[in-house]
Amino acid sequence: MGSTWFLPRDLHPAAWWVWALGLATAASRTTNPWLLGLIVAVASLVVIARRGEAPWALAFRLYLVLAGFIVTMRVLFRIIFGGAEGSTIILRLPEIPLPAWAAGIRLFGAVSAESVLGGFYDGLRLATMVVCLGAANALANPKRLLKAMPAALYEVGTAVTVALSVFPQLAESVLRVRRARKLRGGTGKGVRALRGIVIPILADALDRSLLLAASMDSRGYGRAGVATTRARAATGVLMIVGLLGVCVGVYATLDGSTPRYLATPVLVAGLVIAVLGFRAAGRRVHRTRYRPDRWLLAEIVVAASGVAVAVVMFGTSRVDPTNLNPSLITLSWPLLSWPPLIGVLIGVTPALLAPPPLELEKAPA
Amino acid sequence: MRMRFIAAAAAVVLTAVASPAYAIDQSKGKPGFCPSATGVTVVVDFQDLGGTTIVRCFPSASRGTGLDALKGAGFQIAGVQRWGEGFICRVENRPSAVEIVPAQGKQNYRELCIDTPPGSAYWSYWHAGNNCPWVYSQWGIKNRDFIPGGFEGWSFSLNKTAKTNPQPRIAAVRPGAEGRTCNATEEPKPTTNDPNEQQQPQPNTPPGADNGGGDGDPPAAEPPPAPATSAALPLPRPRNSASPTAANPALSVAFTGGEQAEDVNKVLRRQSGASPYAPWVAGAAVVLLAAASWWIARQRRRARKA
Repeated sequence: MGSTWFLPRDLHPAAWWVWALGLATAASRTTNPWLLGLIVAVASLVVIARRGEAPWALAFRLYLVLAGFIVTMRVLFRIIFGGAEGSTIILRLPEIPLPAWAAGIRLFGAVSAESVLGGFYDGLRLATMVVCLGAANALANPKRLLKAMPAALYEVGTAVTVALSVFPQLAESVLRVRRARKLRGGTGKGVRALRGIVIPILADALDRSLLLAASMDSRGYGRAGVATTRARAATGVLMIVGLLGVCVGVYATLDGSTPRYLATPVLVAGLVIAVLGFRAAGRRVHRTRYRPDRWLLAEIVVAASGVAVAVVMFGTSRVDPTNLNPSLITLSWPLLSWPPLIGVLIGVTPALLAPPPLELEKAPA
Repeated sequence: MRMRFIAAAAAVVLTAVASPAYAIDQSKGKPGFCPSATGVTVVVDFQDLGGTTIVRCFPSASRGTGLDALKGAGFQIAGVQRWGEGFICRVENRPSAVEIVPAQGKQNYRELCIDTPPGSAYWSYWHAGNNCPWVYSQWGIKNRDFIPGGFEGWSFSLNKTAKTNPQPRIAAVRPGAEGRTCNATEEPKPTTNDPNEQQQPQPNTPPGADNGGGDGDPPAAEPPPAPATSAALPLPRPRNSASPTAANPALSVAFTGGEQAEDVNKVLRRQSGASPYAPWVAGAAVVLLAAASWWIARQRRRARKA
């Protein structure tokens, strides 16, 4: 087995998603900048070491830019809308007086280090989660993900896959249009150049959607089969209600500050309804799969490393939550203990143990 | 790109956090009761949490909010993440993140200071004029001014109702100023539900008007002059000076000035098992990972070109 382990191949996309969601879950549990920075570094290393040559793999840089934007905006908002929580004033801006109906809102004024740091920590948490999702998008092949969906999930899966791959596809469009412009010697700048880029991208997106729709149609997606209209409507309602419930439940479970009655009860109810919907949908769809992706040991290792990061962070937040949300009352370096630090470092396993991706020229067409 | 981002993030943290953590602020405030009518005495009673009640003085001659008093007296506090310092969830690190609070209806409850604490386990906020009974504050800590020469009380309310909220077990009487009449005016209740509503300035004695001896009693019969700014509010009425009095100071519980209290940052480090080396290792790991990313990216680029 040792000889075949590192043969280049595409990993099962679900393994990458489990790994990335594990990291994102861990990030959602903490505002400690040490841990968040480490998660970003871990995700980036794995992406750079194991991404393929596909267009969606190149979009990772955009997620990093987006993450930087999120952090900047959070800090800016703290500066604009009153950042005087705490005693270490680092910047004194003139305060803009607002009319009485805007009471409670403050524009500018004194800015404290505590507020800015609070905004930075909070923004960094969201940014880290975005980077984790970007890592999953860069590593997992969305087309293979769609293929791996169980039959009952086809309709939902198609929508989700299309939604998830919009951003990477857009990134690829941008790259292609820019390359084409460069080849044509287009050097315009400013608004004119923007028009020259945006319109081809939009046209490209529209063309692709039509193409995708046509190809899906010809492959029998959305086939109603023998089901009656009423049965199909009932199935659709069950699925949507169930999935909404699952979304709310998962959010409430992950976010510690949401009321608990939204967590487990809604999640379980949503799951039950969704399973009913899936069973109804699955009964009328029969699809076979050509050379399905297999779930091998490497997939288990990758998925388990992501889950391990999340589990360690959950365990820490139960047992020893002091350092996961560093106090901003007295300014100090955020403290850190060993367990979460080691836990996050487990996430780097795929960079070493996942099989390398197929190179473009060697990949089957 | 990513390296630049991380470097920028590190630079922000470095510049922003360069000031050292201070110790329990023996530098701020003074232990024990305020010796004069200048400043405000802050009482922190841990009640059912256990621990010796702490009394400290914020010797400020100027006005300030309840938050100013609490911090100025040297107490180390934490506000919930959601509301910031407007909602205090820990005083002197109690209840700490590792302490299980036996709150009713909550199994293994720990105060994580993320959202508003439950009504069965929270720090209740009291105030009192000198020689006056404690009053449960109708205002938020940032929304009212402390009474110069008076008292601010923090008392942990565990499994109590609005009726049975425990007042601080220290009589609001400054030593050396016993036997005077209570002259604190009754504070008007908030008129709106807006949590940002600010209490109108109260016609208290100008702070620092007397130096130690007297309490600066205004003539009790005369209603205090209405402040120009609060024309819309009813006049604060002076209390009937005969009936309300503070509890007998002889019945107060034992207290300290917090002289022996350990620095909260040190306690936190011990409780959390934080290691002084862990942040260094984390920083080194980030740098190492970034370097490895850069190296791998270069290798792969070369392999692709070859």
